[in-house]
Amino acid sequence: MKDLIRVKCLISAEMETLLNQQIKKEAYSSAVYLGMASWCDRNGFDGSSVYFFKQAEEERHHQMKFFKYVLDMGATAVSPEITGIKIEYNSFKEVFEDALDQEINVTQSIKSIAARCHKEQDYVTLEFLNWFLKEQREEEYKARRALELFEVIGEEGTGRWQIDKHVGDIKYDSEA
Amino acid sequence: MSTIDTLKYSDQGLTDVFQTVAGGIYQSDQESCWYVDFAGKIARFDYRNLIKLKKAVYGIDIEAALLKSDKAADIEIVFICACDHCYVLDILQIIALKDLLAGTFVMLELNQIICDRLYRIAI
Repeated sequence: MKDLIRVKCLISAEMETLLNQQIKKEAYSSAVYLGMASWCDRNGFDGSSVYFFKQAEEERHHQMKFFKYVLDMGATAVSPEITGIKIEYNSFKEVFEDALDQEINVTQSIKSIAARCHKEQDYVTLEFLNWFLKEQREEEYKARRALELFEVIGEEGTGRWQIDKHVGDIKYDSEA
Repeated sequence: MSTIDTLKYSDQGLTDVFQTVAGGIYQSDQESCWYVDFAGKIARFDYRNLIKLKKAVYGIDIEAALLKSDKAADIEIVFICACDHCYVLDILQIIALKDLLAGTFVMLELNQIICDRLYRIAI
């Protein structure tokens, strides 16, 4: 009997489900960042707004990478429904706390897919995920550095204005 | 001779994948598809549609259906988009179809392992 399933699709059904969940998470992240950009813009934090618009685009790019990978492997990529995006924040700092939380969630999720790859010996998907694991180093670094500005600069006086001005300067250029 | 036997002994060359008392699923290597003999009919499913059938059947909440106390008929319509077939099943048939599909996918996975071990992995 021919192995028809393997002929049609490289990844397992479980892996397909996990990758589709990740597509949804990346889409959710992108939408959350847009919500943050909107809040920052409305409250006069132009630098942070630009920063979050850029982050939203990056997350969308990640979503598309997963989406195309799933299709390329012969599986079904599902365009996700995204609801429940926060539009109001209690403070400027809360926006960055949520941003870091968001990145930590994404990293954990990619790590669990990588663990599944090891279990299934799906080294093709694991190799694909390597790019994301490296990318998450940068994403978490940037989110953490942004939050640290609140400790370094402080929010008193013109503190928030300074933070907003410097958020866009955060770069990750590790060669490691 | 039943319809499935006719198909089996014809040029289609069907292979039994999994059978229960309620029905059976057969694979056609030639046509790259599966024949599902269930609920009094034989339906042809390609890879995409078989996966969709599995998702549709697994998505039915059997417990909720059993606990339902309204007067609506005790049936579920399993409709698969872009597929010619649809099933109208009662709860017992859903359980039986779920059983059949579960067994089938285990057998297909086993077949994949055998193919890997016997033919694909170079020594």
